[in-house]
Amino acid sequence: MTAAALVLRGVTAGYGREPAVEDVTGRVEQGGSLALVGPNGAGKSTLIKAVLGLVPLLQGTVEVLGRPPAQARGQVAYVPQAEALDRSFPITALQVVLMGRYRTVGWLRRPGPADKALAAEALERVGLAGRAASRFGTLSGGQRQRVLMARAVAQQARLLLLDEPFTGVDTTSTDVLLEVLDGLRADGVAVVMATHDLSVAHLACGDACLINRRQVAFGPIQEALTAERLRETYGAGAVVLAGGSTIVTA
Amino acid sequence: MAGLRRLLLDPFAVPFMARALVVVVLLGILGGVLGVHLLLRRKAFVTEALQHTVFPGVAVAFVAGQSLLVGAEVAAAVSVVLLHVLTRDDRVDTDSALALLVATFFALGVVVVSRSDSFQSSLTALLFGRILAVDARQIAETALLVVAGAGVLVALHKELLLRAFDPAGGAALGYPVRRLDLVLDLVVALAVVAAVRAVGTVLLVAFLVTPAAAARLWCRGVPAMMVGAAALTALCGWLGLAASYQASVHHGLRLAPGALVVVAITAAFLVIAAATRVRAALR
Repeated sequence: MTAAALVLRGVTAGYGREPAVEDVTGRVEQGGSLALVGPNGAGKSTLIKAVLGLVPLLQGTVEVLGRPPAQARGQVAYVPQAEALDRSFPITALQVVLMGRYRTVGWLRRPGPADKALAAEALERVGLAGRAASRFGTLSGGQRQRVLMARAVAQQARLLLLDEPFTGVDTTSTDVLLEVLDGLRADGVAVVMATHDLSVAHLACGDACLINRRQVAFGPIQEALTAERLRETYGAGAVVLAGGSTIVTA
Repeated sequence: MAGLRRLLLDPFAVPFMARALVVVVLLGILGGVLGVHLLLRRKAFVTEALQHTVFPGVAVAFVAGQSLLVGAEVAAAVSVVLLHVLTRDDRVDTDSALALLVATFFALGVVVVSRSDSFQSSLTALLFGRILAVDARQIAETALLVVAGAGVLVALHKELLLRAFDPAGGAALGYPVRRLDLVLDLVVALAVVAAVRAVGTVLLVAFLVTPAAAARLWCRGVPAMMVGAAALTALCGWLGLAASYQASVHHGLRLAPGALVVVAITAAFLVIAAATRVRAALR
């Protein structure tokens, strides 16, 4: 039997004495997908960083593919928000994707033809083969997010961590991103994404973890994200629509 | 033709002028490679700070009659390490730590220098350098420092680029981000040390920051920017030194050569910036 992609046991993490997120327990199988849902400041990013081994655990354990996070780094790809990156940076789309190969390439070496082929293939997968030589900053928000997704694809990781991948992204790019995520999951890659977009969470993820500094629910998305729990988590920000579905406005 | 040759080539038939040009070209290479990294990291201010923190080291060495180079090296290394120790605590931001270091170190330097009899002239030399007094040994030392500094940056090129572009992504890939920062700061310290005797602590920033900023305006891609910045410094060094020589020899006008080179670099930056604007407007 293969190890789960991600196992969280009583995870409490943060800097200093005040934990940013407390007592999260759950697992994501290989090929599985988890939406981290919660309001701003709920600890979604901290939890992702804890899985990356970048934020100290105050309590509990994180296991990535059966190993501690620090030992599983080559297997984990992180997709940041495109908005967080400097648009004036003099770098092409292909060069950004190549960064996904850096760890495999190793210190003191330059990416070779095989790495460039993988990067080009990854760009093609997100529908941006024609923009390889374009400067990253000249692409639209959605296209930049797709480039960052291609970087994760080129890394050939087994676990993908995404921080708000659909914020400020047009519908075309959202469709491409969802399609790529589906393809990766079919290949057995596990996906964890922080998002406050509930409709995308339902489209992309089988499971959900609802957090608001502590875990509110963890499980199959329909059961985890009930109207009642969303109201409890988001307060007045959660609105129940006529059809029975809940949206979050906060 | 002959006139142009007399104006631009003849000055460098004089050995001390040729040596000055060699040093400017060498510093331009390190300044180009390092300056582009600093620009991408928006770290120009660290350079500004370090050039002042080497001051007490140089001053102590001067008063004690020791090698200025060693003094500068020690002070630069101490300040880089102190900076990293101070900013380890997230509550201390880099700006405050730098301000604290600069004030303390510069004051220390002034105290030491003021005890020296030749206070004025030594202070001027430290601040503005003596580019025409460079000897063969200094050239060799500068070349060594330039090769070491630029070599480290070329070797760590892709890691430093990733760290500048996407620090979170770099950390997620398992790169030691803090150590990469330390390496970059140490190379800044190396550059300060390499440049302090020739161009002085004040003019150094022009070598590190301005050529890179100009190159960014007209070069695509990071390696092209580095080459462009180095070439710009070499060209401006040539023109600036020639102009200073002509003014002094033929017109009895004493213009500080190091400062003239910096003026040339700044002028080049302004011309390139204006040209970029015009080109953008014409599109």
